[in-house]
Amino acid sequence: MKAFLIDLTKCVGCHDCQIGCKDEHCDQAWMPYAEAQPEVGQFWMKVKQFERGHAPHVKVTYMPTMCNHCENAPCEAAAKNGAVYRREDGLVLIDPAKAKGQREIMDACPYHAIYWNDALNIPQKCTGCAHLLDGDHPISVPRCVDNCHVDVITFGEEAELDLEGTEVLHPEYGTKPRVFYRGLPKKFIAGTVFDPDAEEIIEGALVTATGDAGTFTATTDSWGDFWLRDLPDAEWTVTIEHGGKKKSVAVSTVSEDQGLGDVALC
Amino acid sequence: MSSEDIRTTAAKQSDYSTTLQSIACGGTGGELTAVDSVDGKIVRIRPYNIDSKYTKEELADSLWELEKDGKTFSPPMKTAPNYFALAYKNRVYSKNRVMYPLKRVDWEPGGDPDKINAANRGKSKFERISWDEALDIMESELKRIISTYGPYSVLTVGEDGHRESKDLHAGGGMHSNLMSKLGGYTRETRTPDSVEGWYWGAKHVWGSGSNKGLGMIAPPQTGYNSWNVIKDITEYSELVCFDAGDWELTQNYGSQFWSRLLKYWEELGKEFVIVDPFCNYTAVCHETMKWIPILPNTDVAFDFGVMYVWITEGLYDKDYVDTHTIHFDKVRDYILGTDEEGIAKTPQWASERCGVPVHTIKAYARNVAKKVTSHAHFSSGSVKTPYSHEPGRTGAYKLAMQGLGKPGVQQLHLNASSMAKARIARSTSAPYSSINQCRMFYPNAQSIPRTMVAEALQKGEIKWWGSPCIVYVETSEQFQEFNYPAKPEAVLGMMRAMAEAAGMEPPTEAPKVEKVHMLWSEKPCNMNCWDGGFNYQDAIRTNEVEFFVTNHQWLENDSLFADLVLPVTTCVEDNDSMGSGMIVAQPHSGLTPPGCDRVGESFSDFEIACMIGDRFGVRDQIDLGMSVDEWIQYGFDQSRLGEEISWDEFKEKGYYFPKLDENWKDLPPGMRQFYEDPESFPLDTPSGKIEFWSQALADNFPDDKERTPMARWIIGGPAEEGWTHDETLWGERCKKYPLLVTANPARFRVHVQGDDIKWFREIETCKVKGPDGYLYEPVWMNKVDAEARGIEAGDIVKLYNERGCVLTAARISERITPGSVVVNKGSRVDPIAPHLDRGGAINLISPNNQVSKHCKGFAVTGYLLEAEKLTQSEYDELKAKYPEAFARDYDPAIGINYKSWVVD
Repeated sequence: MKAFLIDLTKCVGCHDCQIGCKDEHCDQAWMPYAEAQPEVGQFWMKVKQFERGHAPHVKVTYMPTMCNHCENAPCEAAAKNGAVYRREDGLVLIDPAKAKGQREIMDACPYHAIYWNDALNIPQKCTGCAHLLDGDHPISVPRCVDNCHVDVITFGEEAELDLEGTEVLHPEYGTKPRVFYRGLPKKFIAGTVFDPDAEEIIEGALVTATGDAGTFTATTDSWGDFWLRDLPDAEWTVTIEHGGKKKSVAVSTVSEDQGLGDVALC
Repeated sequence: MSSEDIRTTAAKQSDYSTTLQSIACGGTGGELTAVDSVDGKIVRIRPYNIDSKYTKEELADSLWELEKDGKTFSPPMKTAPNYFALAYKNRVYSKNRVMYPLKRVDWEPGGDPDKINAANRGKSKFERISWDEALDIMESELKRIISTYGPYSVLTVGEDGHRESKDLHAGGGMHSNLMSKLGGYTRETRTPDSVEGWYWGAKHVWGSGSNKGLGMIAPPQTGYNSWNVIKDITEYSELVCFDAGDWELTQNYGSQFWSRLLKYWEELGKEFVIVDPFCNYTAVCHETMKWIPILPNTDVAFDFGVMYVWITEGLYDKDYVDTHTIHFDKVRDYILGTDEEGIAKTPQWASERCGVPVHTIKAYARNVAKKVTSHAHFSSGSVKTPYSHEPGRTGAYKLAMQGLGKPGVQQLHLNASSMAKARIARSTSAPYSSINQCRMFYPNAQSIPRTMVAEALQKGEIKWWGSPCIVYVETSEQFQEFNYPAKPEAVLGMMRAMAEAAGMEPPTEAPKVEKVHMLWSEKPCNMNCWDGGFNYQDAIRTNEVEFFVTNHQWLENDSLFADLVLPVTTCVEDNDSMGSGMIVAQPHSGLTPPGCDRVGESFSDFEIACMIGDRFGVRDQIDLGMSVDEWIQYGFDQSRLGEEISWDEFKEKGYYFPKLDENWKDLPPGMRQFYEDPESFPLDTPSGKIEFWSQALADNFPDDKERTPMARWIIGGPAEEGWTHDETLWGERCKKYPLLVTANPARFRVHVQGDDIKWFREIETCKVKGPDGYLYEPVWMNKVDAEARGIEAGDIVKLYNERGCVLTAARISERITPGSVVVNKGSRVDPIAPHLDRGGAINLISPNNQVSKHCKGFAVTGYLLEAEKLTQSEYDELKAKYPEAFARDYDPAIGINYKSWVVD
């Protein structure tokens, strides 16, 4: 059974995967696998981007998202006449001919990975470029995989992928996705610690975040910066200590990452 | 696309024709890119495995490997075409392609002011005409202009061309080539666009630099080539400062391989710092990047604050400064405030100006001094600002004080991005072969710098200093005075020099050199790629310009103001040869046969010049009697490729990676020889050393208060007091226009290229959909500045100063330094009325004046404007006042397009 592995830690936000997908499918039908995708508006591969933190501690997480080719695919269950089918390799496909008019197929996807083509009156989504996998084309891998120049997206036999420590999106939906992620964003708290009297950054300050979710520590670097990464969503007391001085602030990562800016230790 | 364009049956392998191309957004080529086509139509554009036609063993001698701490790095077998190339199907089949020759409906040839309707340029639409009619117009207008005024009244615009990667078929001088056979022309010269600060500033510190003239550092002894800089940084640098440019976009215009190099450096544990008004695309996607927000064009203050720390704490290489530089004492005294000015440039002083906290300025100073540090510069930012020579010079000072050339202390720039020298490489940037007939950087009897064309047309005379070239010119050429109209003795002198260089009999009399009355552009984007765009529009809209013709692939920008537009092929359609010369993993040479059928009735600029040449009986002087295939083989024959591969094998395989120089690893990296032995390996400055203070500037421009002999903190002032600019937060204009704009190239455009790529336009950060459904160019604002103006995300925002107003839409972000906004340059102009544009082309309101009094390059970022929400009632008023502009066809996918401007 095939699976996708998407490693967000390597992603640079170039959108090549999204563009490759469109290059393959927009205005080009690959029947019986897929009808042509409209020239704009559908994203069978979509790079979502999340701006995180506050100046000057800002990062953007880029997250390629696609049909999860779920083992328990809700779209398959919602389809009539076998309009959604699972191939032997595990890819879940919509049969464009049989799916005509079946809006339930689109509505069933909790990941919103299925789009409606008004002109053709059909639901459409990622095919895993099954037409390429089945041969007789110049390449035989999904376009998103082929286009990625930093090895973020890999596709292959599940047993041959290194899935240790990976996660799936929304496991609570219970659909058993076959797209696995490494490096799904967790929260961060960052700041620059300085001595306001001396107007100097403080290197080597111990920064501790404590809360019900545990204790995390970091040390400020030669820029005065600390980055507490991979934090769960929680309430924290962040304590900064150096040279006998100590400061505590209450910080929440429940809804967003926290860039604390320049933090005076006095 | 109409339904018949949609392929309904899956292609089979046997149906495909796959060609290899070198698509890039610059003239130097890109990585190998495969184009799969069926029935003459492009199906897909994708990366290519370079070991498809050669075994790994055959490639082994052509590919480099870097090694540090047991970790190796080498080029991947699969190429990494730039993101632009991968979406090129959108450009080839853009709804904005010029399909046929087009004539403006209310323009008539003949030069009659009543029939030119000059004021309607940019307003009235176009109609389709035949190629015969178009060639008739070209022939009759050229004959009329030449007989009325002389050939020098034809201004050939755009010597850098459409910026597609082409060779024989490249534009950007085919018009000059043709005109040179018709008796002459006035040449519009490109100004040092990507390198202004280095060109006007740093060249007076460390000499001509790369390509003998660009101003970024390179050793004269290697023909101005900096080899092995990346190898040196890999092996020795601990910290890399990204001074200007955005690695993940600017550097990737030929290849995306550079993302991998950065990952490798991260793996090696290097540190990175980015000082930028914008938390740029490199800063946000790499965890290791430290972002220091700074107010636009205040880098000089920041740098002086840093140098103050170095001087007062002894954190610079005193021995090096003693042996490798002169006049450091003058800069030191200025920084310490022990000179006549008496102001110490302390970190506190710097912080008040650049907005960076004192503690961070100090931290930067100490990190750079204590770690082995290189500086990466990839254009943009402060080197393109008003008075950019000052940050260019402080950039050079910083490297000089830390021992430029020492292991791991280098300047990394576009022309120093070679990974390894090939045996037959001509330079760090040139392709292995060239049959280009347009980019002849020959001098010309009369020329006008691109930045001064509007003024030349408006005032009829201009004066400037400098060579009309941006490469292959020495620093001292900046002291020459030039005039338009050219003085007869200067014309004669130039013509005699040109004739002598060509081995011809020098003329004894100067030709008749009149003012310009016709513009012919092979790069019709000056209004939004260069400076003072609205002013340029004004100049074109006068009767002085009797005829304005453009050659271009897409109906956009300057072409909207033309009288005749000639359709040009894209690089995928031509039978050409290309390859890549720089900023790729490893340069190659390649054949690029047509990858698809031609679109519309387009021809290449080379072919257009030949067709017009036919009308004047000079075609054989342009194509030299050779077919395109013969040209391509000639290109191979006159190159050194034949030393390593036969023509037959090259033709069969379609590409070739030349072998690396056996000793490539031993070539002295960057400025190492100067570092080790400055007496034997001097710079080409007057003293042979780094000059903190320039006697040459003092001698030639003793009264220049803007570019003095050394870098200073210059804020400018009122024109009546002799200042070129008042574009800072410390003058008068900032009271009316309090925001500083950063206008760098966009993530998903290269300069003005690709604004019509529909798959980019729908990326969240690329455009902002206004309440009217129009995709506006984003203005990135900090929430502090937005809230102060009652602006919310998605609002239509007027950006204006006294030069005009462009409409944008708000994107609120933490990535912007308060007090500044970001609008990426290069969105297409969409004129509503004179000095009012809907397309958000920000360069339209950039300064009309140049860098400074004696430096006539452009200033296109770091200037003042104000932002204000466009209310619904104002919007309604505009729509009622300018119904034609708002009624133009608008395509949801690509916005304004061919149909917007061409009548049925």
